[in-house]
Amino acid sequence: MSREKKKQTAKDAEDKSSELTTTQYLVETIKQLQMENENLKLELRKVRGIPSGKIGLAFIVPGTLALIFSVMNYSNILAFIGLGLTFWGALFFFVRPVRYVKSSLLDSAATSIYTTIDRIINDLKFKGKSYYIPPYPKEVYLPEHLKGLKEPVVFISADTGGMPSIEELAKSKFLLENPKGICIAPPGLGLLTQFEKELRKDITKLQLSELCESLPPIIVENLQLAKELELASEDNQVSLTIFDSTYKNLYTAEEKLKSIHYLGCPIVSAIACTIAKATGKMITIQKDSISPDGQTIKVWYSIIQG
Amino acid sequence: MNFPMSISDISLWLAVMAIILLITSELISSATEYSRNILIEKNRLRLVALALGIGFMATVVMRIFQPF
Repeated sequence: MSREKKKQTAKDAEDKSSELTTTQYLVETIKQLQMENENLKLELRKVRGIPSGKIGLAFIVPGTLALIFSVMNYSNILAFIGLGLTFWGALFFFVRPVRYVKSSLLDSAATSIYTTIDRIINDLKFKGKSYYIPPYPKEVYLPEHLKGLKEPVVFISADTGGMPSIEELAKSKFLLENPKGICIAPPGLGLLTQFEKELRKDITKLQLSELCESLPPIIVENLQLAKELELASEDNQVSLTIFDSTYKNLYTAEEKLKSIHYLGCPIVSAIACTIAKATGKMITIQKDSISPDGQTIKVWYSIIQG
Repeated sequence: MNFPMSISDISLWLAVMAIILLITSELISSATEYSRNILIEKNRLRLVALALGIGFMATVVMRIFQPF
């Protein structure tokens, strides 16, 4: 009996020691992994943290010294080296990028606007559509009480009723009574200003076909808001296809935003404003569809006649 | 204490720099798919390249009217 007890105790001790060794081994491995993680973080910070300003300085200082020595010693080679280094240093300073932010920040910043509009629409129980109303051209003189017509606005109607009168729109009111609805600034208003800057043309003087040709390269190449963009017009309909948009996450957000389908993402909204401005007619988003992988967004605009 | 480079040296230097920068700016602005990740002011780079090119042309014109 005592021998069996001893055996049991020895086995228990062995188990305990093996458990301890395993725990120790795991703790050591975790410590090692943490160390590796910290080192990698440091390395990443180093790689990311070399700004072109520092590189520029590293070129300019020896370059200037070489230039000074070249004058002192009348050395042609030193002058070439000095001139080259100074020039490249100055170039590094000159072509330094403007401050960039991660594109994921853009859509997370826009979410709150759509959530607010969702809350307003839900609270007021609106079931209508959104209409992008074209602004008056900037050079056209308008009396003080009609100045509100110079900014593009979106009218979200309470039901499928009529459109607000010019007088009502000119007051720049938020809640409209006749017909019932709300008037808000389009989410793509800021982008519209950027489009105008890049186009260097007055949008009101552009034809719709010209717009369909000149707008995609600006969005894709100059502003890099999407990988590919197609804009095509047919009769009173304009179709837009965006591949890999910066704002694609807004369509697949967990909150399931409703207003994104009424108003479109900032790119869709800015394009609607541009079409409204170019045609001088009201635009509505007829329908939109998103591919299952969320990469492609298709939007159909309708130009409202009259 | 004179500057050790003559106008013809500067002309040569301008030509080499202008060629390098013009080729670089053309490659960067034409291959948008690959240049997407290059975070530099591409317009400014082109501007510098053109300025150097014009500088070189100016030295050539100088050479025509006043050989050095």
